[in-house]
Amino acid sequence: MQQFLNVTLTGLAQGAVYAAVALALVLIWRSTRVVNFAQGAMAMFTTYIALVLVEAGWSYWLGLLAALVSGLVLGAAVERLVVRPVEGGPELNAVIVTLGLFVGFQALAAILFGSSFVSFPAPFDLRGFQVGTVNIAFTPNSIFVISAVIVVMLALVALFRFTDLGLQMRASAFSQEVSRLLGVRVGRLLTLGWALAAMVGSLAGVLIAGGSLVSPNYMDAVVVYGFVAAVLGGLESPGGAVVGGLSIGLLLSYVSGYLGSELVAMASLVILVAVLLVRPQGLFAKAAARRV
Amino acid sequence: MSATAFPEGATTGVGTGTLAVRGLSASYGPVTALDGVDIAAGPGHITAVLGANGAGKTTLLRTISGLVRPTAGRVLLGERDVTRAPAEEIARAGVAHVPEGRGVITELTVEENLRLGALLGSSRKRTRQRLDDVYAMFPPLAERRGRDAHTLSGGERQMLVIGRALLTGPDVLLLDEPSLGLAPRIVAQIFGLLRELVDDTTAGAGLAVLLVEQNARSALSIADVGVVLNLGRVVATDTAAALAADDGLRHAYLGF
Repeated sequence: MQQFLNVTLTGLAQGAVYAAVALALVLIWRSTRVVNFAQGAMAMFTTYIALVLVEAGWSYWLGLLAALVSGLVLGAAVERLVVRPVEGGPELNAVIVTLGLFVGFQALAAILFGSSFVSFPAPFDLRGFQVGTVNIAFTPNSIFVISAVIVVMLALVALFRFTDLGLQMRASAFSQEVSRLLGVRVGRLLTLGWALAAMVGSLAGVLIAGGSLVSPNYMDAVVVYGFVAAVLGGLESPGGAVVGGLSIGLLLSYVSGYLGSELVAMASLVILVAVLLVRPQGLFAKAAARRV
Repeated sequence: MSATAFPEGATTGVGTGTLAVRGLSASYGPVTALDGVDIAAGPGHITAVLGANGAGKTTLLRTISGLVRPTAGRVLLGERDVTRAPAEEIARAGVAHVPEGRGVITELTVEENLRLGALLGSSRKRTRQRLDDVYAMFPPLAERRGRDAHTLSGGERQMLVIGRALLTGPDVLLLDEPSLGLAPRIVAQIFGLLRELVDDTTAGAGLAVLLVEQNARSALSIADVGVVLNLGRVVATDTAAALAADDGLRHAYLGF
């Protein structure tokens, strides 16, 4: 029982981060029909920016803020300078471009920050809570991770649901042409969408790094799990991305806890193939999944 | 005051609400779709653009609204040259284009579709009032305001897109085949309403409408002026009544 509780709680905290990564992928996919393979590498890069600042004496919170802001800027810059020029061409072009960015950011990070593992601070205690005599695997830091992701989700839902800007972003995701005919400046919204996605990705990068080690490729596995989560949720729906992320976090945690941690990567692949075979549109039916 | 300056809103012959298309050409690769088209649409007038399939009617509207880049010619809104401007800027300059197939964003609710149009219109405070005006004009939309737009019937969708276009506060309204797939009774209703809108001058000079139609008979019955296109060229421009009375032209190009 105790192990089940521990595995579940660990899975939820991991799942929250996968949900954030999935959300970043979904934000970009539904507005530009590009799977951003550089999502993890961009998050890694901004996490390093935070680390450099924290090591220079800044507080964790200022470092986090710097990572989020540099995520915004990086996302906007990538959309404007790299993705926009290949827009309208064959779809494969954008895919190749994001793969190129992925390789480029990793190489640049290795040059600037070194390629060895370095530890990243956590803002809260990493020791589990004590319940009576039982020590559970749920830590104050896990609570922070989950809360941070929930806050960002709610902020995004509020943006999309209740603001004019969000309405325009949803409209241009569904129909660029009609939106332009109504005077919506779709180009600016695409840039904003990439910026927001990269910011959410940066948050995921910093959260998963907390109390752990970072290296230029530490986000690779996280992005794969985030991608599986996004596909599970249907790639279209922010809500689906969150449910997908939490599900993948839990499933992989059970695999790791009961079957062996060496099977986690394989399990994620099995889930991906199973989803694509059985329900390629994702677990959420189209109409339901499109609701944000 | 200098002699060349006009007070705002004064009639200058080329009012801000006048669309003038001069020598417009466009092509899809090697295929010429428009070949030197001249058309004008003035405030308070409905100009019907008629012709067979492939005559270039849809391309004409798409080129005016900036979705297709012209290869030659000019598009003027009053005295402003909007040729080659991006579609969103042409919309902001006062051209509302209701595209072929209507352009309802089916994933959004009815009210969200309308709000999207209202974002371009006048001041924020009046948005509620303006939405209510549209609901008063189209009561079926009021009942379905919270529903996803994909639940609407064809006639309701046509009401939605016209209402949404009006909310953008246009000087010029471009309509692409509004009668397509609608029952004759609904077409008559929508055309009647269009005529009322154009004749309503309470808010200014009145709307200028460029109406593309395959249904030439219905279109000419409400239009002031008709333009007949064939293979991308204008073959006739005349009053609607004169075109409807020209048997040779009707048989050759209009099919009724």
